[in-house]
Amino acid sequence: MRILPPKIWRNKDTHYALSASVCEKCGNVIFPARASCNKCGSFKVKLVKLSGKGTLLSFTKSHQIRTGYEKESPVYFGLIRLDEGIEILAPLVDVDDDPKDGSRVEATIRRLRVDSSNGLIEYGTKFRLIENE
Amino acid sequence: MTDAYVSGASMIKVDKYYESNAIDLAIAAVSQLEDQLTTKKPDMLFLANAYSESTEEQVLLANKLARTLGYEIPAFRVESGDSSGGSAIYSAYLAVKSGIAKSVLVVGTEKLSDFPTSHLNDIISQNLDEEFSYRSGVVPQAYAAIQMKMYMKEYGVPREYFAEWPYHMHKYASENPFAYLKFPVEKEAILSSQIVSEPLRLFDTAARSDGASAVLITNHEIGKKISETPVKIEGVEMFTSHFDYRQLKAVQGALKPWREFRPDFYEIHDSYSVTAAMILEELGLERGKSLYMLDQIQVNYSGGLKARGYPGGATGVYQVAEGFMQLAGIFKGKRVRDANRGLVISADELGSVAITIGLSR
Ligand SMILES: [Zn+2]
Repeated sequence: MRILPPKIWRNKDTHYALSASVCEKCGNVIFPARASCNKCGSFKVKLVKLSGKGTLLSFTKSHQIRTGYEKESPVYFGLIRLDEGIEILAPLVDVDDDPKDGSRVEATIRRLRVDSSNGLIEYGTKFRLIENE
Repeated sequence: MTDAYVSGASMIKVDKYYESNAIDLAIAAVSQLEDQLTTKKPDMLFLANAYSESTEEQVLLANKLARTLGYEIPAFRVESGDSSGGSAIYSAYLAVKSGIAKSVLVVGTEKLSDFPTSHLNDIISQNLDEEFSYRSGVVPQAYAAIQMKMYMKEYGVPREYFAEWPYHMHKYASENPFAYLKFPVEKEAILSSQIVSEPLRLFDTAARSDGASAVLITNHEIGKKISETPVKIEGVEMFTSHFDYRQLKAVQGALKPWREFRPDFYEIHDSYSVTAAMILEELGLERGKSLYMLDQIQVNYSGGLKARGYPGGATGVYQVAEGFMQLAGIFKGKRVRDANRGLVISADELGSVAITIGLSR
């Protein structure tokens, strides 16, 4: 497993700004952003930044370890409906006990993984519970 | 158009083979078809393999296999994740149906046993989108776990419900000499097995392993020549969709053309217990009850991915080989009653691709 700077660079909008595309023809929201609509096939899409806020629909506490992410295990993954209407599965942070379905969550930038060979660290989006909104 | 037939099939036991690479395993499977291949050399080769770049640090596998077998024929690797096997069968079917090839050798081969779990999880996670999911450290098991939770909520079933699937798969696999996990298990052991991703447990997941299987797809004339029991391919359908927690759209789509077919048995791609339930319900069993109805349907007498084992992209080739052997009356494990028609459902890890293959004798 190698972390390569060009890959982190080209994914910066996805991970640091939650950049999505919106189809100008059918209104579909596509995340990660693409230059085509995955619903109607149109190429007329525009880039938008997602709010990063959403509602937790469900979650799982995973004990599976992946190379580079060893320190994160066990990890909660949440199925989140973002306020823009799309559903994504993403890691949850700062969660010690099982969260409640229906909780409000927001995106935050955290460490994703570490390259053991060159020491590079990759950062990206995870979600945390919002205490008071 | 010409009809296409499965005119021969072979497989090696699904297992850990530390001493063999993917090509070695492929040759072991193909060598069992020696008589048929000597009578008629194949016109084309399709190799099903999903993960060789990561697992073997190898590409150009189809050419390497063809060259190793002494063939100078068109040879293609077909990669479509865990549905590579079904996709390779589809490709061979098209070649024979079109008349471009009279005889096509399909080989599935995969090596998943060489790695620690953490590395293999990383490889299997390549099935997810690269930009967000893969880089976020998500594992496919998390999708299946949430799918399972939603299913439990929707139908009000307890955790125990899902134990039915591994229980039956292990029971069937214990009769299959080619199965990886050739032993029965008690439901208590299933329900207390290691937690993978709550509420998903080890026995709800496919048994990753090595394997290779070969299938000969020919026209009728060659089929008669090289086989006593050629099995007709009634059709192949494929459907691709987005992953959906609540329904298997690809499976629905790939099943639609088969409404009148009425198979006597099925081989389905059970990545997880919940996947099995959702596929069975697309086949017509009652939603939320399908896993309690396994005595009413002849499904996965191989033992399925759960217990025959899951050799990645080779899985679909195993399924078709098993279907052929059932219909030819030569399957060495639990035999299907009145086997006249069988349906194979090959799919990828999370069921966003499905290929259905109808077989009849
Ligand atoms: Zn659109």
